[in-house]
Amino acid sequence: MCECQNCGNCENGQKKVVSRRKFMAWSVGAINLAVFGAVFGPVLGFLGSPLRHRQMKQWVPVLDEGALGEGETKEVPFTVRVKDGYEMVDRTYVVYLVRSEEGIVALDPSCTHLGCRIKFQADKNRYFCPCHGGVFDNRGTVVSGPPPKPLVRHAVEVREGKIWVQRSV
Amino acid sequence: MSRRTLSPERPVENVPVPETQEEALRLERPSLRDWTDLRLGWWGFVRKNLDEPMPPGVGWWQTLGNLLLTLLLFQFVTGFALAMYYAPSPSSAYHSVKHLTETVPLGSFVRGLHMWGSGAIVVTVVLHILRVFYWGSYKKPRELTWVFGVLIFNVVLGFSFTGYLLPWDQKAYWATVVGTRIAATVPFVGPDLLRLIRGGEEVGALTLTRFYAIHVMLLPASLVVLTGLHLYLVRRLHIAGPVLPQKGKPVPFFPVQLFRDAIVVLVGLGIVVYLALAFPPAIEAMADPAGTDFTPRPEWYFLGLYELLKIVPQGYEVLATVVIPGLISLGMLFLPWLDRSPSRHPAMRASIILAGTFVSLTIGLMTLKGVIETPPPHHPPAAKAEAPTPDGTP
Ligand code: HEM
Ligand code: FES
Repeated sequence: MCECQNCGNCENGQKKVVSRRKFMAWSVGAINLAVFGAVFGPVLGFLGSPLRHRQMKQWVPVLDEGALGEGETKEVPFTVRVKDGYEMVDRTYVVYLVRSEEGIVALDPSCTHLGCRIKFQADKNRYFCPCHGGVFDNRGTVVSGPPPKPLVRHAVEVREGKIWVQRSV
Repeated sequence: MSRRTLSPERPVENVPVPETQEEALRLERPSLRDWTDLRLGWWGFVRKNLDEPMPPGVGWWQTLGNLLLTLLLFQFVTGFALAMYYAPSPSSAYHSVKHLTETVPLGSFVRGLHMWGSGAIVVTVVLHILRVFYWGSYKKPRELTWVFGVLIFNVVLGFSFTGYLLPWDQKAYWATVVGTRIAATVPFVGPDLLRLIRGGEEVGALTLTRFYAIHVMLLPASLVVLTGLHLYLVRRLHIAGPVLPQKGKPVPFFPVQLFRDAIVVLVGLGIVVYLALAFPPAIEAMADPAGTDFTPRPEWYFLGLYELLKIVPQGYEVLATVVIPGLISLGMLFLPWLDRSPSRHPAMRASIILAGTFVSLTIGLMTLKGVIETPPPHHPPAAKAEAPTPDGTP
């Protein structure tokens, strides 16, 4: 014996209604979607939080002004307290200070190619990147190699006999 | 009366009706083997796999998959052991690894097994891919076996990239600084992608926890699923014979092929154990963002990419970081559809064979160049002979 499933597909003159079967199938689908969303929505938002990070600027005194002679380039380490995820740490960074006719320039030591640590060679008056052969002149302009941009310059100020550098954190 | 084994060939409903009292007793208290088999169908499964037909001509080249499986098992076990001594934070990661390597009994050996094992997996996976490629075994109906394989390959590379950071020494730190910066070269979304991967602006505490979670949770889970699918398909579709069918009847997997597998596993693991003992893993100085005496260098199998970065012209690094690796990955993934020739014979798909050989050789040679030219740590090269200008300015 056959029983009408109310599938809505036949032409038996029956009303086109959503069958029980279809209704349940759709419901299961919708519930699955909701469960999926309930897990992955919050998790993706949670993991994506670094995207909302705002850069802040911080002024740090790094060197006595008198310690940097005319035409001199100095590698200056300085330590700042930074928030590293869940902990506060003292972290040491390095900046290259150059005094020339245009004043004091503070160069970031990360190669603009892929971020290796560049090194200054006084005898050549150039910065060399150990990774893929990037070379910069003493103002940070690219001389050769793959780096696409000159070295990043930090803002510098001289206040009360000290050289201050602005870092973004 | 001989002992009855209940196996799936004998459906459960057909459990025999006991005829004698003695038999009734035996069926009531079956042997452990019968008891488990009735419930799990285990012996049937084992027998089916041992009897799997191998076309004539299947031999040593088909043992690499099983070697991979064994090496993976080793990684899981040694990785689990290492995780028990490891602490994923910048202030403790380095010390925990140093401690487990230098103080914990057998620590150096277990870490050595994990380290050399990962290298062995990369080598074996590449050999396995090459053998499948030259045999044309990725063709209909085995396209998806290949696709799952390519996904597995990417997971393997992900393992080594994330694992490399975990010891938090100079090598780890700087390779990750440079490696993650590659993401920043992606057009438009690069900087955001970099922040997502690092968990912030700089490589730090959140990068370490991210990499750790990916290395010990996400990738192992993906690998188990993908390997399961891969092996299911290998058995479902059976192994492809040689390109030119050879005479003879198929032989069962057991004993000949299994014996070959065992020999290869013995040799492969022997090499890993030897390397772990002869070249115990080192740990360098602790990660130091300000340190100057360190030349970043990636794990050796990424050295090809590293060399590529040196040769692309200035301003086009996206070629080396995204375009070329991306094209190679996509080409691998869609190989079964790029190769339209219905024949598996190399001569009938010469362009694909040539392209694949060219790409593999290039990667091989660039890797070799990288291995030869990349200096060991702490011996920074004198800066390359750069024609000095008389006054030191450009
Ligand atoms: C760690 C990961 C892997 C494991 C454990 C594994 C395991 C296996 C095993 C046991 C076989 C049976 C025959 C043989 O060993 O040659 C096999 C076959 C195969 N594998 Fe893999 N494999 C892995 C990775 C890959 C990768 C990366 C690819 C491709 C990119 C791949 C593609 C294939 C194909 C197409 C076959 C069928 C070959 C045939 O029928 O002749 N596999 N694999
Ligand atoms: S990171 Fe400096 S040249 Fe590539």
